[in-house]
Order: sequence, then C-alpha cells, then structure tokens
Amino acid sequence: MTQSASLPVIALAMGDPAGISPELTARILADETVRAAAGLIVIGDLRVLRDGARVAGVDPALHVIGPDAPLPEDLSTPAFVDLGTLDPAILRRGEISEAGGRFAAENFRYALSLAVAGHADAVSFTPFNKAAMRLHVPGYEDEIGFTANFIGFRGAAKEFNVLEGLWNARVTSHVPLSAVAGLITRDSILENLRLTHAALRDSGIQAPRVAVAGLNPHAGDGGNFGREEIEVIGPAVAAAQAEGLGCDGPYPSDTVFVRARRGDFDAVLTMYHDQGQIAMKLIGFEQGVTLLGGFPFPICTPAHGTAYDIAGKGIAHPGAARNALLLAARMGAAQRRRRPAAGGSLLEVRAAMAA
Amino acid sequence: MTLPPPLALTMGEPAGIGGEIAARAWAALRESGPAFLFLGDVALLPGIPTRTVTEPAEAAGLFREALPVLPLPLAAPVRPGRPDARNAPPVIAAIERAVALALEGRVGGVVTNPIQKSVLTAAGFRHPGHTEFLAALAPGDGPPVMLLTAAGLRAVPVTIHQSLRSAIESLTVERIVAIGRATAAGLRQDFGIAAPRLALAGLNPHAGEDGTMGTEDRDIVAPAVAALRAWGIDARGPYPADTLFTPQARAGYDAALGMYHDQALIPVKTLDMHGGVNVTLGLSVVRTSPDHGTALDIAGQDRADPGSLIAALRLAAELAAHRQRRECP
Repeated sequence: MTQSASLPVIALAMGDPAGISPELTARILADETVRAAAGLIVIGDLRVLRDGARVAGVDPALHVIGPDAPLPEDLSTPAFVDLGTLDPAILRRGEISEAGGRFAAENFRYALSLAVAGHADAVSFTPFNKAAMRLHVPGYEDEIGFTANFIGFRGAAKEFNVLEGLWNARVTSHVPLSAVAGLITRDSILENLRLTHAALRDSGIQAPRVAVAGLNPHAGDGGNFGREEIEVIGPAVAAAQAEGLGCDGPYPSDTVFVRARRGDFDAVLTMYHDQGQIAMKLIGFEQGVTLLGGFPFPICTPAHGTAYDIAGKGIAHPGAARNALLLAARMGAAQRRRRPAAGGSLLEVRAAMAA
Repeated sequence: MTLPPPLALTMGEPAGIGGEIAARAWAALRESGPAFLFLGDVALLPGIPTRTVTEPAEAAGLFREALPVLPLPLAAPVRPGRPDARNAPPVIAAIERAVALALEGRVGGVVTNPIQKSVLTAAGFRHPGHTEFLAALAPGDGPPVMLLTAAGLRAVPVTIHQSLRSAIESLTVERIVAIGRATAAGLRQDFGIAAPRLALAGLNPHAGEDGTMGTEDRDIVAPAVAALRAWGIDARGPYPADTLFTPQARAGYDAALGMYHDQALIPVKTLDMHGGVNVTLGLSVVRTSPDHGTALDIAGQDRADPGSLIAALRLAAELAAHRQRRECP
C-alpha cells in the first residue's frame, strides 16, 4: 500500500475557464500543503490548465491521463483527467459563454461521478459563473440543485459558509423575507441542526457547539416583538438538545456572531439569508469556503466568484480555494473511514455517468 | 475663548450599570473632555470624586478634579440588578431636566443612560420608549430617527422594535421617505455633512433579484429611492444587504438605511461590539446614548464596559459643535 492510499482522495473540477479558475487550479496543484493533505484527481482540459499555470507562474508535476484510462493507484503526484473538451484559443477572458458553462458542468459531472463510484472521498471545484451555467443548463439554480439532480439525491442538502473557526448555516435561503416566518418550523430547524452537527463532526470538531439565532429583534424580547422564538425556535433547540446535539438559543441575531467569533460557538444557525450573510461578509467570508453538506460526500468550493475583473493577471489570491481543498481533505478523511475507497477503472465511472 | 456648555448625562436605571460606566467615563475623559455633568443620585458614583453643582456652567471648570453632579436623589436604596419602582420618578425627572437644560442652551446635548422601561411603565410612564419620550419633550420638524454608529458606519433602521412579520407589513414608500428625509436633515444639521449620501438596503435576499425573491424591493423600496431623489437627496438602492456594509461599499455613502432592526444592527454590532452609539436625529436637542441596555445581570460587579458611553459622550460633543456652528455662524 502506497503512502497516499491512506489519504483522502479529492476530485477537483475546474470551474469557469474565463475567470480565475484556471490559475487557481494551477496554484492549488502546486501547493505542497494541499498535496500532502489529499490525493488529487483534477478534471479539466490540459490546455486550459497550462494557460492557468502560465498566468500563475507555477509548473506543478502532474500525471496526465485520458478520460477512459485507468486511475493511477498512487496519487502522490496529482492525476489530471484531460477531457480535452475546451480549446482556450476560442475563449475570451472575462466573458460569459455557453462553452465556459459547459466546460465547468462537464468537469463537475465527472468529479461527482468519481465520488458516486467511490473513487473520490470528496469533491471540490473552482468558481462557476452562474450566468454561463444557465446558458448551458437551462433552469440552472445552484450547485445543490444541479448535484441532487445529477446524482439522484432525494435527501436534505444544505449550503454551509465556513470561515476558520466559524460556520454559518441557514434554515431558509433564497426566498422572499415575507415567506421566512412561515418556512421556519420546529422540524426544519431540527433537521438543520442535525446536518450542521454531522458536518462539523466530519470536519474534525468532536463536540460542536451551535448557536441558534432568533427571528425577531432582540430574539423577540420575551414575546414582545414576535412569538416565533417561543413557539418554534425554542422548542426546536430543546428537541435538538434532547437528541444530544450541543446547541443553544435562540439568541438575538445582532450579537450572536460577535459571541461566536470570540469562541463561544463553532457555528451559527440563522433563520434567513441576510441574517448570516451580512455578518459573514464583514468578518471576511470572501476568503471563506462554501460547503455543500448532506450529500453522500462533501463538496467544497471557495466562497468567492469567478473574478472576471482580475482574471489572467496572476493576482488572484488562492487562500479560499486552498481552504476549500483542505476542508474537503478533512471531511473526505472522515468519509473514507466510513466507506473505504473503491477499486476499478474510470470506464465504470463513464458507464455510471451514462446510466 | 469661552468653553462650550457641558453635556448632560442622565443616570438611567439606578439598578443597572449607568452609575459605574458614568464613573469610568469620567475617569477616561477628565483630561481630554468633553466635560459632562451627571443628573442623578451621587450614591450611584462610588469611588470617584464628585462635586455638587446647581448650574451646568460650573461643570466645565471643575471637570478635571471631579465629576459634577446635579443632584436628583433616589427615593429607595439601590440594589444592583433589582430595579425598584419607587425610583421611577427621579429617573424620569433626570431625563426631563436634561432636555430642559438643553432647550435653554445651558447644556450642549443630552446623553442618556439606559432605562428599564418595564419599571417606569409600572410607575405610570406612558411613552413606548426612551426615544418617544424625548420626542415628546423636544419635538423636531419630522419623525425622530434612530441612527447607530460604529467604526466607519452609520446605519438607520426604518422599522425598529416590532416582529419581523409586522416590520415587513408596515414597510411603505411613505415611511421610508419620511425616515430618509429626516436622516438626511439630521446628517446635515448634526453631522455637518452638506450633501448626505444615503444607501438603502433591499428587504429581500439579493434585493429581490428583480422581483423573483420578493416584490417589496421593486414595489416599495425602489419607488422610495426615486421619491427621495425627487426631494433632492442623493439616495441610492435598493442594494443587496449582505454586501452593503463592506469597507468598499461603506466608502460610497454617509448612512445606510436598513429595512428592519437587525439589518441595521447586525453590521453595527459586528463592526464594533462595544463602541457603538445610538443617536436620535430629528429632535430639537442633541441626543446620544450608549448602544446597550441596563445590563442588570452584571450591575454592581465592576465588569461593565464604558466604551459605548464614552463614544456616545464624544459624539454628542461633536454633534453639539456642528449645531452650534449652524446656529451661530
């Protein structure tokens, strides 16, 4: 057994080629810490990656294979699956295109297939451009919907925002604010607390402490400014505690992030989109990681976007992408302990994709 | 050169932290100023030198030596953390006295320590809150506006102490325009900003994404922005709230209007947990207060952080100076 066989394997899909994804992918592949933390299988087009490597000024060692070739047993040198689908000569940096969306989607599908087949313990991808994805996949909403649809997943999956030492999950997300009070139920909050705990434990936190935000100002001020805290959120917290999940609340949402940040909690569960996003973006979430949790394997991506404005300049900071890979490695290791990696060839993966 | 009039600081809830943070604020500001006088019971200020005064004008000269006190004796002994309704009348009297002195120009502005509203209500206080009481004592031309400051941010919640459901229901073009106009007027008068720039947050995630995630931003907030612009105010928005408070975004406006309490309060507290200040714009007197409550749970334990009160005193002095310049150019 080679040394790398004990490491988690991450399938890394190259994202939108017109932004900073190619240079970020190249930088990650050249990062010693990332290479030491996981075996990497990168999916993309070698010409696009070479372009990114030139921009980034790096020259990572790679084991390049074709789409249907057998996977190398030893991943101490990252494997690069060259799908050969995109000639960078037809691309314009900083422009949304169907070709860019198709490239990102095909790479991502391939990475998901590797994880479904057990060849990878976690999936990561560099940023997608939502508009480009929509040109290729009509009705594309987000990565959660895309993934659930592609792998046929019917369970609950959630987006988590992860900063070093501070996680945020939300009960509702892209819905009108007027719909939120009707959508938060004892069961939806409890389900979110279970998912949050599971993800935190997989990331290596043994006994997670989760703060639950209230819905109303001052968390309702004892019922003076709304009763959801008394009737819905409080009972959900009590039910989660009865299951042994470390959590507390509801807390006033204007100070709960301050408390979490000083170390009182590992994560904050918020009731609506902006309740968490305002604080997280002030704290520095642009360098954070988005985790798609609840799927049979973890999916991690940098929280920032494609950064068309700085693409190709070699100034894109790889911190968030690197953090995404390192979180995928930690969570992938937990995944690997639960389900040992599969053998077999990529031909089976292709067959699974076709089926 | 004559010294500016001192500020008036009310005692607030005697069983809370008002006295201890006042004492600490004096210790921090005795050399630098601004000078202030304490309206309340001297028993709330143990451990620092105090001097009883009858005229605010005496305060400035002796502020370095002692905290000047305009005495308003309490009726019942103070037990930290346990408010006593018998003390409600002097607590209310301190606020009335401070406003009266400000209206007469004998103090530069009013800084209020937090009150325990339930205790005052039990004693017959008929106002919904501190700010409404001040608005009754010193009304201005428009509605009173709550503005919060933190490091590099001024934020105004358009709706305040009501449930999120009712805040959404009560959001109207008229309300946003009234608060926006009063905010712009206050920024001109009290902050000395000649042409204030307002940024309005959207109510919904991503400011509703053209009506696909809630219609209020398209149907209420955007028309309110247009109406404010028609009044000659540099108002913009609605902007997605999650990116409205980053340093780059903050450089583009003088105040942000949040559509509900936490939309304005989350960025303030996240940026500055202990140094935030609550300003009431639209009164006929300058008024600031620390951005926290009575903290009954830690009262009397010598743990209370005076940072917010110190910032409130400093800001009140600045606002008073701006008003002074406008009134006596």
